[in-house]
Amino acid sequence: MAGSISMEAAGLTLPFLILTFLTIAAASSTNQIQILNAERRIDLSSHIVKVFLTLKVENAGITPASEIFLAFPPAQADHLALVKAQAAIGKKKKKSYVHLDANPTELPDAPNGTKSFSISLLTPLSSGETATLEVLYILTHSLEPFPAEISQSESQLVYFRDSALILSPYHVKQQTTFLKTPSTKVESFTRVEPTKLAGRELKYGPYEDHPPYSFSPVIVHLENNSPFAVVEELLREVEISHWGNLQITEHYKLVHAGARHKGVFSRVEYQSRPSFSGTSSFKHLLASLPPRVHSVYYRDDIVNISSSHLRSDYRKNLKLNHGILYLEVGRLLLLLDMGYHYFRFESPDGKRYLNFSFGCPLAETVVDKLTIKVVLPEGSKDPSAVVPFPVKQRLETKYSYLDVVGRTVLVLENKNVVPEHITPFQENGKTWKGTGKESKGKNSLKDL
Amino acid sequence: MDSKAAAISSPVPVAWYPTLAVFMLAIGLIVTASFFIYEATSSRRNRSLAKELTTGAIASLFLGFGSLFLLLASGVYV
Repeated sequence: MAGSISMEAAGLTLPFLILTFLTIAAASSTNQIQILNAERRIDLSSHIVKVFLTLKVENAGITPASEIFLAFPPAQADHLALVKAQAAIGKKKKKSYVHLDANPTELPDAPNGTKSFSISLLTPLSSGETATLEVLYILTHSLEPFPAEISQSESQLVYFRDSALILSPYHVKQQTTFLKTPSTKVESFTRVEPTKLAGRELKYGPYEDHPPYSFSPVIVHLENNSPFAVVEELLREVEISHWGNLQITEHYKLVHAGARHKGVFSRVEYQSRPSFSGTSSFKHLLASLPPRVHSVYYRDDIVNISSSHLRSDYRKNLKLNHGILYLEVGRLLLLLDMGYHYFRFESPDGKRYLNFSFGCPLAETVVDKLTIKVVLPEGSKDPSAVVPFPVKQRLETKYSYLDVVGRTVLVLENKNVVPEHITPFQENGKTWKGTGKESKGKNSLKDL
Repeated sequence: MDSKAAAISSPVPVAWYPTLAVFMLAIGLIVTASFFIYEATSSRRNRSLAKELTTGAIASLFLGFGSLFLLLASGVYV
């Protein structure tokens, strides 16, 4: 009797064990999450490519998921400037957005060269639940001018290479990709059915049911006449003085990264027909400076840039007009020195901190290598910087004016900086009275 | 972000820098001049060490502050 019962029990336990093993195995793979709907909007209006990705994710597994992974192809991995993610909370009218952290990770089962990012969710996604995530990522140097050399009267055409299918570690049920072009002129594009070009929008999709890591390369040849302003190197030196003054000196190496110029340049034609001739040249460079600056100077390698003016509105804008100097289609190096004095230095009890912004004041430029040196007053101890994104930090000493011991310099370095990087960062520099830190928001003038 | 943080500004109003520089340097130079005049006109027996020292000290004080404000007024924020 006892024997027969134990035989039945043994007969049941084995399939039960197999079943638990299978569920554990299934839950531990990344395939438990699937993307119900993915919509990608690629904005090609300027030379900085902005991609907005909306993912509707469902947890089809058993264990709750606290992370969602994103994958980027190797060609884009080096050009990724920024990845930002946010989650939408609430329905229609009461929608609000919460920022989520996106960090680079390594996924073991990803194909070679794929760069992965992991987005940490606020609350783990339990089985059967869906969530909507919005991701913004920015690519630099992704538009290749083709033809590589154009004459003055031609417009600039570029190649944009990407995939019609969104690269993802998960199974994607339905996906669509929209490309927004700056003008209606699209020379050619790869067709991956269904594809539709209407006006300034190129639509790839909708595509149904694609397995993880599916990729379909496409090339779009379009016209893009926005100025490809690339600052190869930017060195910003911020000198903080006890007397409440900041002296900022900037050295730019500015390059036009679009198509090169071939043939003859005719100034007459350039100035008489601006909409036809030299359409992709820099008509002017706009730099926005904080409002309360004084003693602004700017010059380039050769001469003072005489044809520029400093406009002051709620936020001082420096408009450098290079109509006189030949700075146009083609590669031209401009070494620009800009200096200004700026008062901003806050001090609560015991600590001193400084609000400053990390980016480059020139509008719509990509900075390949950005170095900010913050020179603290003599005798400062323990400076530290709080920056929202990873930068390299180190300390140096600088001797200037009447220094005896030397001033501590905090050096921050970052590569591939775009205007979206202008976000608060804080820097603490201790003097014998306190510490200093820096931060400044792009749109928040209250810090100024 | 601390809302009660006050902006650090110069202990001396910035608009006063050039004025202070000029006046302090002027006074310093006048006192220096009086020191030299005293040295030149007095004979060895009549010289008073106390007077020399005070004149010298006052002159160096004014010249020192004057040159500091001169540097500040010209944009060299030391």
